[in-house]
Amino acid sequence: MEIENTVVCGEKIKKAYKGFLLDVESLRLPKGFATALIGENGAGKTTLLNLMAGLRLDYKGSFTYFDEKLGIDDKGVKEKIGYTGPAHFFMPHWSVRQVAEANELLFEGFDKKKFYEIADALCIPVGNVKNVKSLSEGNKTKLMLATVLARETKLLILDEPVSTLDPLMRDRFCELMRRYISDGDGEKSVFFSTHDIADMEGITDYAIIMEKGKILERGFVEDLKEKYILVKGEESDYSALSKWLIGGSCTKYGFSGLLLSEDLERLSGHNAVAETPSLHQICISVMKQNSPLKMI
Amino acid sequence: MKLLQNSGVPIYQQIADQLKEDILAGKYKDGEYLPSIRGLAQDLKISVITTMKAYELLQNEGLVTAMQGKGYYVNAQDSEMLREQHMRKVEEALLEALHAAKVAGLTREELFEILQALCAMSEE
Repeated sequence: MEIENTVVCGEKIKKAYKGFLLDVESLRLPKGFATALIGENGAGKTTLLNLMAGLRLDYKGSFTYFDEKLGIDDKGVKEKIGYTGPAHFFMPHWSVRQVAEANELLFEGFDKKKFYEIADALCIPVGNVKNVKSLSEGNKTKLMLATVLARETKLLILDEPVSTLDPLMRDRFCELMRRYISDGDGEKSVFFSTHDIADMEGITDYAIIMEKGKILERGFVEDLKEKYILVKGEESDYSALSKWLIGGSCTKYGFSGLLLSEDLERLSGHNAVAETPSLHQICISVMKQNSPLKMI
Repeated sequence: MKLLQNSGVPIYQQIADQLKEDILAGKYKDGEYLPSIRGLAQDLKISVITTMKAYELLQNEGLVTAMQGKGYYVNAQDSEMLREQHMRKVEEALLEALHAAKVAGLTREELFEILQALCAMSEE
């Protein structure tokens, strides 16, 4: 499936650090969907999200927002984007109330009443803590989510939103994102990075897999599941097939790996079975194929 | 709607099958809109793209029509097509029975007897 409307469109994005280069020729995020950004530690996910959210401006290339019409500094654009990240952007000595007041000053669309409702629903201990610093990591994440969800936004850029959350809260997070997308009726989009692909598969419409500053694979999840098949077979067939396998591995009990669906005929004559991979399996295999990680 | 995670049948296929059954059973009237893609995704706790794919399957089968910006409405089901759809279901079920009979080593006569007995039973 092709992307019809984009919520963010990036062209020739380049950002260099010592020993690292983010190099994205073209990036298109579908409007009205949830997109997951997946990749190894240090692949450049946070850098990409930071540039997109306008947190850093020292890069080459350009981003346009909301149907390629607007730039980050155009009127109302930042107002329509909600960002949460791993480096907590609250002053550590602030109380939860001060966080609410600051957001009210910063963003026109911030609804204080809604914020306290969300904080209450997510069980953030508003009155019981002296300052934000003493909140648990999970509660800090919830607090950040509450501040962006209390605003009128059209795009959420979330850097690792669930890594600190417990299983139940992850489920709740997925619900919140689905409701956000559903309420927007095609106008609201979410872009998040994650390592917890299996937990997030149920809300992921479009996936982008990164490695060493470059995009390895991208597509609507249902399309990716047709592009690849998961193959399992006997150890004796591994050497003949390993050339075609993506992220394949073998033990004395047999092999498994990903295969491009167009290479399906390679299996004929071999004792192997194929099944539809999950997004998690696709990501792991594609990452494994390109990773510098080695077995010790 | 009941969706099974590990049945081997893709989720979008399960949704399409169940909606198709509802449409053929007349639960949706001609011209009536199916639930919105994103609303259904929220209710079923699945991704938007999966519901979208289910609706596209239904569209390809001619059961629904997509309206830009408005969603999918149910096409008028002509009786000929309905009959055709049901015929296909009967054929599929009988083929499955034939296969099972072959595995069990039943003769054709025994098979006919079973079918006649079943027909008689369902008429009672």
